[in-house]
Amino acid sequence: MSEQQIISKTLPLPKGRSLWQDGLRRLGRRRFAMACFVVIVLYFLLAGFIYLAELFDWQVAPIRWSQEVGSQYESPSGENLFGTDIFGQSVLRKTLYGTKTSMTVAMFASFISIAIGVPLGAIAGYFRGFIDEVIVWLYSTLSSIPYILLILAFAVVLRDKTFFGYKLAGITTVYLAIGLTSWVGICRLIRGEVIKHKNREYILAAKSYGCSAKRIIFKHLLPNVFHLIIIDFSLRFVGFIHAEVILSFLGLGETTRPSWGAMINDARIELARGVWWQMATATFAIFFISLALNIFGDALRDSLDPKLRTQ
Amino acid sequence: MRIAIRSIVLLTTIFILLAVIGCDGSGSENDPDEMILRQALFNKIKSLDPVSMRDVYSATVSGQIFETLYQYHFLKRPYELIPLLAEEMPQISEDMLVYTIKIKKGVLFQDDKCFPLGKARELTSGDFVYGLKRVADIKNLSENWSVFDNKIVGLDEFREYTKTCKKAEDVDYSRPIAGLQMPDDYTLVIRLKRPWPQLIGTALADMVTSPVAKEAVDYYGEDIISHPVGTGPYMLKKWHRGSYIELVRNPNFRGELYPSEGEPGDAEAGYLDDAGKIMPFADKVVWTIIEEYQPAWLLFLQGKLDTSVIPKDNFDEAITGIGELTPELKQRNIHLKIFSDPSTFWLGFNMQDAVLGENKPLRLAISRAIDRKRFIDLFFNGRHPIADGFIPPLMASYNPKIKEKGYSRYDPNDARKLVEEAEEIYGGKLPKLRIAMPGTDTFARQFGQFLTRNLNDVGIDVEIDYMDWPTYQEKLNTSSAQMFASGIVASIPDAEDFMGIFYSKNKAPGSNKFNYYNAEFDKLYEEIATMFDSPERRELYQKMELVVLEDCPAAFLNHRIAYVLHHDWVKNYKPHVFQYGLSKYRRIDTAKRAEYKGR
Repeated sequence: MSEQQIISKTLPLPKGRSLWQDGLRRLGRRRFAMACFVVIVLYFLLAGFIYLAELFDWQVAPIRWSQEVGSQYESPSGENLFGTDIFGQSVLRKTLYGTKTSMTVAMFASFISIAIGVPLGAIAGYFRGFIDEVIVWLYSTLSSIPYILLILAFAVVLRDKTFFGYKLAGITTVYLAIGLTSWVGICRLIRGEVIKHKNREYILAAKSYGCSAKRIIFKHLLPNVFHLIIIDFSLRFVGFIHAEVILSFLGLGETTRPSWGAMINDARIELARGVWWQMATATFAIFFISLALNIFGDALRDSLDPKLRTQ
Repeated sequence: MRIAIRSIVLLTTIFILLAVIGCDGSGSENDPDEMILRQALFNKIKSLDPVSMRDVYSATVSGQIFETLYQYHFLKRPYELIPLLAEEMPQISEDMLVYTIKIKKGVLFQDDKCFPLGKARELTSGDFVYGLKRVADIKNLSENWSVFDNKIVGLDEFREYTKTCKKAEDVDYSRPIAGLQMPDDYTLVIRLKRPWPQLIGTALADMVTSPVAKEAVDYYGEDIISHPVGTGPYMLKKWHRGSYIELVRNPNFRGELYPSEGEPGDAEAGYLDDAGKIMPFADKVVWTIIEEYQPAWLLFLQGKLDTSVIPKDNFDEAITGIGELTPELKQRNIHLKIFSDPSTFWLGFNMQDAVLGENKPLRLAISRAIDRKRFIDLFFNGRHPIADGFIPPLMASYNPKIKEKGYSRYDPNDARKLVEEAEEIYGGKLPKLRIAMPGTDTFARQFGQFLTRNLNDVGIDVEIDYMDWPTYQEKLNTSSAQMFASGIVASIPDAEDFMGIFYSKNKAPGSNKFNYYNAEFDKLYEEIATMFDSPERRELYQKMELVVLEDCPAAFLNHRIAYVLHHDWVKNYKPHVFQYGLSKYRRIDTAKRAEYKGR
């Protein structure tokens, strides 16, 4: 028995870590990022809770936002922590309910943009040639139009339209408008990565085994660029929240239920009479989730992107 | 070299930025003595062609460019019709069917390139006939046609003829109309099918009959909407769509004298200081389009606008608890004018709707569920009166006892009982009702929330459809709105405008958006249409109002009371609710304005 054989039998080999395990370990070391993650989870939990409460008709405070809890424009007090609005409704309840509106819009818009952008980017990058040119032309054209104007145009066009018997209104219009206009970034990113990966050994090996293009793209290429999708998702999510706020502010978003944008829109003119609490509360709600998502997104990128690993 | 180029680029950029920032859209004021009237418009202008104009904002601008045969006296109250382009009041035949109108001689259009050598010609009676033919021409799709429908001999036939023409150019405007004769260039004879006592107020003092030069229509074609060529005191100089409008004096304007008589108290108020002087006073009239009240209010306080309404959120800043100006505004020499507006606002029901049309208890329930007092407190600082009926208190035919009838009462308990009754009629639980709301702004949204809360309280489920103005108009014109928030401002000091909106022959797309029909009402309407103002006619108005209120085709909400502020330098600012061409009366004390700005 050689010396090497003896060592290998007595000392167990160190266990290797996958890309994900390694990334999450690095992420776990960033305390501030983890604190931000907790904030994000809280926002999601709150949105989910309100969603379930509405679904099962649980009579909890946030879904009773329309209840009159005080007189008109009551300033913040022990009774009404963040004051009341024009109808004597609790600003706190409206802000909490607005979490559901914003998170729902950002979530659906993200899924729509990923559902469009990722396959298109992968197809363009893998096939190149005419297909690539068409897709590049399409996203170049879309990206040449100012983003907010494009969303506004989509929101106006989609509003009150009926598709397959379903009338688009309020929040549905918002996430459709945002999702349909914001897939360009992820499409471009995935296309570039796929072009980079398609000549690597593991893809050549798959090709030599006779794998179909569909199998290569969805079974081999996409899992290897999936971390980019997650990073992009976390960084774009905050942009989608802002887009929802802007649309609601401009009167093109949610009109029947509270949303942060609509609250800011109302508060804008109320500031003249010294009613600042609605503006402040909605702004802080947006500020915390934006900050948390930005910091966490950056940390996620640093941890998962092999090129940016510094530790 | 590279640094030098960079510096030039940087300096140029800074210069351009400063230039852009410096342009506040209110026009330059190089000459401090130049009298400029500065105002805000809260909506975009659609058209400056009288034939296609129906909204207040377009009329506000056009009213300074175009003139009518008659106008309402600026100072006298009750409002009195006086000649403007007409030489005198019309001669009316004994059978009340023929109106002979003498037109002023020497009235010139403004100079414009549409005329030979750019020099204007004199106004003639043919211009009025041409204007009326344009309204009748189906190719122009004039919303004002309903005013003349079945009124003037031969005009309806001309309209039918235009329907047979394939293209707009094919319409022969020289075709004679028996009811519109021009014995000479300065005489217009109008022959009616039946007496029409409101002809002068409703038609001849309305912008729709303002003369437009045929040369201008031929020259500009469809673009006539942005090239107004009129006879009025001002003419259009600049129109940056959606942002800025500037009018300058029309050098061809014949000059009009400021009235020398008014009502008691006018002399003390300074309204007769300019008596007998030649108008217009201001050199320029400028409007900045500001769709939000807040910035307009701030510009007013800075002295960049001469007048302003009071936004609801600034009301406490402007008005004290006893309805006077606050000391801060008094110190700024700002004046307050409070006046009634001939208006009524409502939540209308589409009487052709399957759920609402046949279910009176449901309509009554909705009406009783609305807390009008709270609505007015929340949205209008409690300053508007509740609409107990639909004839505003300003009208002579207003019924002072209408409140006692209780049609506007807020009674949620009664509303709940009525909902039960409505469900029996409907045969089960009522479906979700929809309200068409014009606008997506904060006011519209909060108003929608208010209605939802009120109706939900009594067990009526509603959803608000917020939409832009054209979509809303389309919905009403096609009778596809179930309920709608709307209102009307009368154009004449008579309640006829309020009656016309319930007359069955005016059903949508006409002015009767409720699609209301009541045989008794129609009969009374046809009766009053040929009556001159009299106690009998006013009594009939009140009777008609009760017929409508009993049927409840709308929940009437409020009338409007205007609170308008103006700076001390604006002279002759007497409120007038039936005329648009008011800029000619206003005078600016430029020294006082300069003093205010220098503070």
